[in-house]
Amino acid sequence: MIGLWYEDHEIGQTAPLGAHRFTREAILEFARKFDPQPFHLDEAAAAKSIFGGLCASGWHTVSVSMRLLVDGRRAQRKALTTHDEKPPPLGLGRGVRDLRWFAPVRPGDEIAFSLRIDSMRDTRRADWGLIGMRIIGVNQDGREVCAYTLMGLAARRPA
Amino acid sequence: MDRLYFEDFPVGEVVEFGDRVVTAEEIVEFAREFDPQPFHLDEAAARESMAAGLIASGWHSAALMMRINCDEVFLRSSAQGSPGIDSIDWLKPVRPGDRLSVRRTTLGARPSRSRPDIGVVEMRFELMKQNREVVMRQQGAVFFGRRPNGETKA
Repeated sequence: MIGLWYEDHEIGQTAPLGAHRFTREAILEFARKFDPQPFHLDEAAAAKSIFGGLCASGWHTVSVSMRLLVDGRRAQRKALTTHDEKPPPLGLGRGVRDLRWFAPVRPGDEIAFSLRIDSMRDTRRADWGLIGMRIIGVNQDGREVCAYTLMGLAARRPA
Repeated sequence: MDRLYFEDFPVGEVVEFGDRVVTAEEIVEFAREFDPQPFHLDEAAARESMAAGLIASGWHSAALMMRINCDEVFLRSSAQGSPGIDSIDWLKPVRPGDRLSVRRTTLGARPSRSRPDIGVVEMRFELMKQNREVVMRQQGAVFFGRRPNGETKA
């Protein structure tokens, strides 16, 4: 497990984020709200598309990975609090680099996500560092379906 | 309106479209499902955070921009998904009541090497709020089907 303060991170560290099964119902619900293109909504239209069948919106896939990342951190924050340790202030995301969707996510697919620390650097604010973490999603057949680098602020441990 | 193909996105074109007001309810609803951090969930907790008040998840902003792009462009086009996005920058917070629109710039266009019926269009999308401040910038590629032989632009 990687700690929550900036100093707890090290380039090259990896951690699993957990897995999520994408149901047809959830794929359709997300698509109806945010990405109502035929290949995310309609099996027959999807069969004729570049995807060759219904698949999740790429924004759905990455949003689920965020949920898993946040859940893991929430558990860590809770554990710190129960040990009477104050968790670090939460940092905001600054952006994303090199987001790739390699293969479609189909109804019933189970995607396992992991993270890898790729970069760490100072910011203009002495109390925050910027961490680049590569989030990678792999399906039940071992095929990479998506990857992106999330650039997020992490609080520095007070001296 | 005409269906839009790869050929209908000339390099250098800048277009603005969309009008979507974001509510506190939908910010919280998205956050509960995908990004349950205090500054996306709860006004009081958000005020004490570095967000200084409730803000939309950056992924919610991306999803809302996708919806605007679908309604205004993609659903009347031959869009065939995206291989990826080079960069997303969350520049300013999106807050309840903000009115969002999109400015799209076509940066490049080339036929696919492997699929003669597909073209790749490089686009920059800027999500703006009511005062025209850019809150999110995104740059990446979109696949579009090429105009079939014989079909002419009206």
